[in-house]
Amino acid sequence: MATIRRFCCNDLLRFTSVNLDHLTETFNMSFYMTYLARWPDYFHVAEGPGNRIMGYIMGKVEGQGESWHGHVTAVTVSPEYRRQQLAKKLMNLLEDISDKIDKAYFVDLFVRASNTPAIKMYEKLGYVIYRRVLRYYSGEEDGLDMRKALSRDVEKKSIIPLKRPVTPDELEYD
Amino acid sequence: MASKFGLAGGIPERRVRPIWDAIDSRQFKNALKLSTSLLAKYPDSPYALALKALILERMGKCDESLSVSLHAKDLLYKNDSSLMDDLTLSTLQIVFQRLDRLDLATSCYEFACGKSPNNMDHMMGLFNCYVREYSFVKQQQTAIKMYKHAGEERFLLWAVCSIQLQVLCGNGGEKLLLLAEGLLKKHVASQSLHEPEALIVYISILEQQAKYGEALEILSGTLGSLLMIEVDKLRIQGRLLARQGDYAAGTKIYQKILELSPDDWECFLHYLDCLLEDDSSWCNEASHHPVRLQKFVDCKLSHLTNEMFDSRISDALTFVQKLQADTSADFIRCPYLAKIEIERRKLLFGKNNNDELMETVVHYYLRFGHLACFTSDVENFLLVLSLDKKTELLKRLKKSSNSLSTVPIKALGQSITLLKIQELVGNLYSLPVDELERSAVQMSQMYCKNLPLSKDLDPQESMHGEELLSMACNVLVQLFWRTRNFGYIMEAIMVLEFGLTIRRYVWQYKILLVHLYSHLGALSLAYHWYKALDIKNILMETFSHQILPQMLVSSLWVDLNNLLRDYLRFMDDHFRESADLTFLAYRHRNYSKVIEFVQFKERLQCSNQYLVARVESSILQLKQNSDSIEEEESVLENLKCGVHFLELSNEIGSKSLTFNEDWQSRPWWTPTPEKNYLLGPFEGISYCPKENMMKDREANIPRVIERRSLLPRMIYLSIQSASVSVKENFEVNGSISDPKISSELKFLLDHNAKMLGCSLSDAIEVVLGVSSGLKSSEAFGADVIDWLNFAVFLNAWNLSSHEVMQPDVDGCRTSTWHIVNSLLKKFILDVRSMESLVCSLRFDLSMLVQLVTEPLAWHMLVIQSCVRSLLPSGKKKKKSGSADQSTSPLLHEIRDSIQSTCGIVEEVAKWLGHHINRSEDENLDIIFSSLQKSGEGEGPGQVFQILGAFISSNNETELGDGISQALKSWSPVEVARKFVAGQRTELREFLLICESKIKSLKALQQQMAQV
Repeated sequence: MATIRRFCCNDLLRFTSVNLDHLTETFNMSFYMTYLARWPDYFHVAEGPGNRIMGYIMGKVEGQGESWHGHVTAVTVSPEYRRQQLAKKLMNLLEDISDKIDKAYFVDLFVRASNTPAIKMYEKLGYVIYRRVLRYYSGEEDGLDMRKALSRDVEKKSIIPLKRPVTPDELEYD
Repeated sequence: MASKFGLAGGIPERRVRPIWDAIDSRQFKNALKLSTSLLAKYPDSPYALALKALILERMGKCDESLSVSLHAKDLLYKNDSSLMDDLTLSTLQIVFQRLDRLDLATSCYEFACGKSPNNMDHMMGLFNCYVREYSFVKQQQTAIKMYKHAGEERFLLWAVCSIQLQVLCGNGGEKLLLLAEGLLKKHVASQSLHEPEALIVYISILEQQAKYGEALEILSGTLGSLLMIEVDKLRIQGRLLARQGDYAAGTKIYQKILELSPDDWECFLHYLDCLLEDDSSWCNEASHHPVRLQKFVDCKLSHLTNEMFDSRISDALTFVQKLQADTSADFIRCPYLAKIEIERRKLLFGKNNNDELMETVVHYYLRFGHLACFTSDVENFLLVLSLDKKTELLKRLKKSSNSLSTVPIKALGQSITLLKIQELVGNLYSLPVDELERSAVQMSQMYCKNLPLSKDLDPQESMHGEELLSMACNVLVQLFWRTRNFGYIMEAIMVLEFGLTIRRYVWQYKILLVHLYSHLGALSLAYHWYKALDIKNILMETFSHQILPQMLVSSLWVDLNNLLRDYLRFMDDHFRESADLTFLAYRHRNYSKVIEFVQFKERLQCSNQYLVARVESSILQLKQNSDSIEEEESVLENLKCGVHFLELSNEIGSKSLTFNEDWQSRPWWTPTPEKNYLLGPFEGISYCPKENMMKDREANIPRVIERRSLLPRMIYLSIQSASVSVKENFEVNGSISDPKISSELKFLLDHNAKMLGCSLSDAIEVVLGVSSGLKSSEAFGADVIDWLNFAVFLNAWNLSSHEVMQPDVDGCRTSTWHIVNSLLKKFILDVRSMESLVCSLRFDLSMLVQLVTEPLAWHMLVIQSCVRSLLPSGKKKKKSGSADQSTSPLLHEIRDSIQSTCGIVEEVAKWLGHHINRSEDENLDIIFSSLQKSGEGEGPGQVFQILGAFISSNNETELGDGISQALKSWSPVEVARKFVAGQRTELREFLLICESKIKSLKALQQQMAQV
């Protein structure tokens, strides 16, 4: 049960219980506000009864030519509201916007290689592991770059997995 | 950044690039060297100078940087031929902004725009300057100029946003909106609109003027197609229709949204609002995206006739049934919760349908009772039921749970829900102690029994049944509150620590531990768990309330300092960068975010916690430096002698503070400075809505800030007053007391007295009475620290004013010195008399810490000021011609006071030493004997025993390797040891503070011996 709407600044004051989760990063203000200022359509929040924050998704759209893509920066759901397919709903929304409004070729995201539950979930949502990024997280843990092709990428070229892992400085975008 | 022809600010780019590279890689020394040689070649280049200024600023040489940049600015102004290029301007702008001189940056751009009025780059730079200064009117004027010049839609919208800001955040009247509307209309007529955000702003301008019809018209016209997400458009339409009072059309729109997204709860509420013609949710614009959770109790329904109401409700039911039939996914809850909402509205309308309401909740439970969010889903509905009915509902739920699911995880979820509802209903207080105990036992057993369900989960995932231990803790706290038996609270700690041994990420346990450890005087341990929550950035604003109040009255100064510093740095950084981010929103044409950003910044600036932190971090510095008057004076100098805070104190009454704390994550019983249930006697409740806690806090905080922000000024004046009085006393040609100091101090004392609830003369009488024993210490109420501070400052003022009459008591004159001495002695030695520390509460300790680090410390400053004035420059001999000092009563008073103060602190240090040196075994014995269940009767220890028994039956095949290994590492002794060590840390820190004070007092004694 969720009302999904654009994320707004005041939500930053209300997402405490979602962000207390140890796998959910609390970024600095300019990070959130840059996303809000540049890609407000990619930052959505789900509210439940009593206006409780159930979870949110933040992302952006970037790239050139055939690498024009939507990117999921963070998606998180409060423990109380897990196992109800909310993350799926939020992901679908972002994919929809990337696909229909911004006509992107694919959506991608990074996930800790050790975060098995999340990887499984993304796979269920149609994402494949495109490449491994060595020591992506604080120079320690590897990250997995997962992708899902959108309708514009008819031949699904964007998601053909790379044969070798890359290093963070080889990444095209931050 | 190079401009045309490879020139940067008139200088070949190849000469400039190495400097920028050096700056970017933070090699400032190298950058400065390169910049000096550049300046040798181009001595009059404003750009070269601006670069140098930038480097100097980054090196921390702000004064030099300012003078260089001012020189660059002068050259820029003077030299007609010099290039007024964008690079020079923007570089200077960066320097001025970093030097906090936005005004200078603005004047550069104003000058540039004056010189070349049609330069769009300069105008954009100027607009940016006004955004940084929050000068909405000038923003508007500049944007209009740009719009006239370039005719672009975005500049018009910049102007419109600037107008909206004047109305919403400035002092512009609503009539300005008409101007904005006119501008937009004209533009639309000639060029239409092309950006979805432009349309949103247009509609909001109309909506703010209550022109709903016009807004709707635009939305349904061609412009409406700019909004690509259908649901978003419908939501705006629905809102406009409702606000217009066209409920029938509104109902249809919301119905449409629900057909598209049947799980949209807010939309369902709006649907019902429209159907029942209830406008309460739209009346208050501020309630749109509120920060607080919404509690809905009231609805406006009385205007409908009975028949109308019945027919609308029947429509709603039909619609909801259709939604239920159309949705197959079994996680869609809205159409089911909707039924409860319909029953709730019926109840509010006056239908006596408690039964039906309860029945729908039971149905909802049968379908969704296993979900963790069940309780929060129905929480608001319970509010309309009386306590009796709530209890009845609980019974019905329990009855229906006889047919629990056969899927173990579901069955566990359903059982947990029942326990949560019981907690929420709040009738635990009526249960006898033994039943409560059974309840805690049941919860822990259920937790242990169901651990195998989590066997295969990833260690980072939350486990099934985690909540049970938090609930068990809450019950144990209730038992402690009722029986005052320390064992229960220790047991609660053990339960949580046990839970964390199995899953170290459960933040709910950590929050509970923060409060329990704080309450038991193991604040360093509480802080340890707080840090484990990794609270940073905006969470500091919403979450620090869990630890900050305790830390403010503790001796953990280093940790407190870090806490305050990190928080203030975060807030100040945001205030600094917020305008640039606002400009980013302008540039990316997300106009609605412009308004939002400015409002958000204002909201944070008025944060009560921010103001408290600012005042308290200054007071902390004053406390930390109070043993040396010279250091204290330099702190005071940085604080402008407390003048700013004095202003804050005066303004606070007219400021509307914001309260951004998140209370949801905090159990209702956790102590706040306003209310600490655990200290008082049992009040016959087992649940209290958090709103009450917030209300008390909101009422109290402005008073606290008003009082605390007087302190720095009063300390400053007291030091002055003391020094002046001594000079006056002993120097024949000495300075005559500055009447301004004395009168200001008197004024503040008067003000202080009023804040304590009486007139100055009454306040003097109270301190006199309490110090002489004629009045009980109760007269100070809960404001002991404020009263003692008052007495200290009163003495300082009286030194130069001699206005306080000194009545004879038993033939002895009672001076204000004596008042202070005896008050300090009375209160400090009283508190110190508490005996066993391990199971006592931190309240007493924090009181003691405050007494020593505030009134006593301030009094020591008064003494230091006197002594310093007696020994004019260091240890020089007495000045010739001075009066004979040795027998003066003042000297006598000072010597007496030093001796008395020193004696007090020594006593405290002795007591602290005694507790610190107490053997660990002795303390562990106290803890474990409190957990030892004796015989069959009531008493703590049962839950602890269950955990112990569970550990010894640890079955690896059942629990899996992860949980089983974690269980093996469980050590209650280790928990107890850490607890004792945690208590000692604060005592040790406090002892260090005392020792430093003793040292300082001894030195004063020696100095006095030379007088």
